[in-house]
Amino acid sequence: MMWSRASAGLVAGFFLAAALVGLGGWALPGPWQSTIVPGLVAFFPLWIGAAGAAFGFSSGRRAWGWLGGLALAGFGALWALRALGWVQ
Amino acid sequence: MKLKSATLRAFTAVHTWTGLVAGFALFVAFYAGAITVFHHDLPAWQSRAAASQSVQSLDDAQRLLDGVLQRHPEARTHVGMLFPGAEWPQSSAYWQDASGTWLFATLDDLDGSPKPPQAGLPELLNELHYSLGLPVVGTWLMGAVSLLYGLALLSGVVIHLPKLVQNLFALRPGRNLKQFWQDAHNVIGVLSLPMHVMFSITGALLCLLFVLMTALDPLVYDGKLMGAVPVAMDTAPVRAAAGVQAPTGSLAMWRARSIEAARAQGIGDFEPSYLKLGNAGDRNAVVEVTGESSRSLGPLGSVALDAGTGELLATQLLGRRDANHATLAATYALHFGEYGNALVPWLYFVLGVGGAFLFYSGNLLWIEARRKRRQQAQGRAQVNMARATVGVCIGFCVAVSAAFVAAQVFEALAPAHVDAGIRWTCFLAWAACAAWAALRAPARSAREMLWLAAGVTTAIPVAHGLAAGLWPWTSAAAGLWAPFWVDAVALAMGFAFARLALASTRRAREGEPNSVWADPAPGA
Repeated sequence: MMWSRASAGLVAGFFLAAALVGLGGWALPGPWQSTIVPGLVAFFPLWIGAAGAAFGFSSGRRAWGWLGGLALAGFGALWALRALGWVQ
Repeated sequence: MKLKSATLRAFTAVHTWTGLVAGFALFVAFYAGAITVFHHDLPAWQSRAAASQSVQSLDDAQRLLDGVLQRHPEARTHVGMLFPGAEWPQSSAYWQDASGTWLFATLDDLDGSPKPPQAGLPELLNELHYSLGLPVVGTWLMGAVSLLYGLALLSGVVIHLPKLVQNLFALRPGRNLKQFWQDAHNVIGVLSLPMHVMFSITGALLCLLFVLMTALDPLVYDGKLMGAVPVAMDTAPVRAAAGVQAPTGSLAMWRARSIEAARAQGIGDFEPSYLKLGNAGDRNAVVEVTGESSRSLGPLGSVALDAGTGELLATQLLGRRDANHATLAATYALHFGEYGNALVPWLYFVLGVGGAFLFYSGNLLWIEARRKRRQQAQGRAQVNMARATVGVCIGFCVAVSAAFVAAQVFEALAPAHVDAGIRWTCFLAWAACAAWAALRAPARSAREMLWLAAGVTTAIPVAHGLAAGLWPWTSAAAGLWAPFWVDAVALAMGFAFARLALASTRRAREGEPNSVWADPAPGA
């Protein structure tokens, strides 16, 4: 029970934080290179926040579903934004 | 604010287990880190020669640079160097040899060696702080510990949130000792929360930066991250060597030009502290001078110059830095307490020792919450946790003080073996304390270990006085304030350890008898 939620935070939370850092880096005004360091700094609180949020779900399955789903949505949005050339 | 009881239970479990797993390493990191704040002052305490050392002249530093560039072709590609000043009276130069090993040279040792100059106590404490003294994996381990620490902070705030405001200033001494320790744990945790949040983030970043960049590169940066990092983190533009020889400028010229460039941007007090020189001797030689200016959370700024002509290439100075450089400067300054005035290091010292107490009290609370109230004999888990807490935490305090005493003994008797002597003393003392605590009843080993810590810590100024002839009053009379304060703080901490030893003796005799911290009743 605890371990399935912990793994959701650890793994799905990692990808969710990565997707959020990517979206921030690419969608903010200016080239993505200009926000590398703030992105790296922001990654850790995002990951820790996602890992903590995982324990707020009533089951490991729900935690995996939400965090994994959000991570996939985040990477999907990042890919779409770049494929459409809306960000650079 | 109300939380569902299942949620509260889950976060309590997260707080307990992340706290226990990371707590021991965090105690070490905070205790050693609190002392590391004063790393510039420790060399002057460790050796009399360093205490009375005057600041090296820029001409001497120039001879060091010329000597290194002449003897070591690899240093011409890239060499770093300190400007002699208040922080580092003696300059040193550092570069990577063909195999990638960093070498350090001083004016007395132009051949260079892999051992940084002024190793000794500050270097040992720093290694204990960021890696527990373990090579390579220690840094990653402490990175993982920083993440668990972040999770412990988050879950701790969540479980405390419903009563956070109403209990903030409650410290209830009395019969219910668990309540007292809980109050102390909570008030320190909440009041120093911003500092803890900052340390968990900056600590994770400093330990795991390269791991994180490697992981994020293919995920979100298209594999182009490593190529973009030099522009984001350095100031000097990347210039390939032209293959044409040209005279490289001088330290004095770079210093004057960088101060001039800073002044042109309205920064009157730019003080160069170190430089990075690339392609020395080539027409495309570049020098990046980094210096400090006051009144900023990220005091470090830098100026990039053509090393030969002194032409200004780029700046990242206070008020005009881009987001990357401003964040990087603030991250470093916040973690190391290198901003503001002279009170900031003391604040960091107090918060660091307070942080160590926070983790210690967390372990005590774990034991107290599982105490068997109706019998003297306690469960095996509680006894082992008590033994580990005493052996690792108080044992570490003993080991650090023993390293200080050893520094004086070896400086006086075997100066060639000071570094090895400090290290062996520290780790052997720590291991002996842990072994001792593992074998004894916790109530007994706690007071023995605290008396030992009091004795060894008080021996620090005595050893200093006997070996170097610098007693607190002689240091004060000579105006050597760095060694004076090291001795004074050691005395104060020795006194504090003695008070704690008295308190735990009293608790063992007169306190609640059904506990790991009570002496067995006579005849029992």
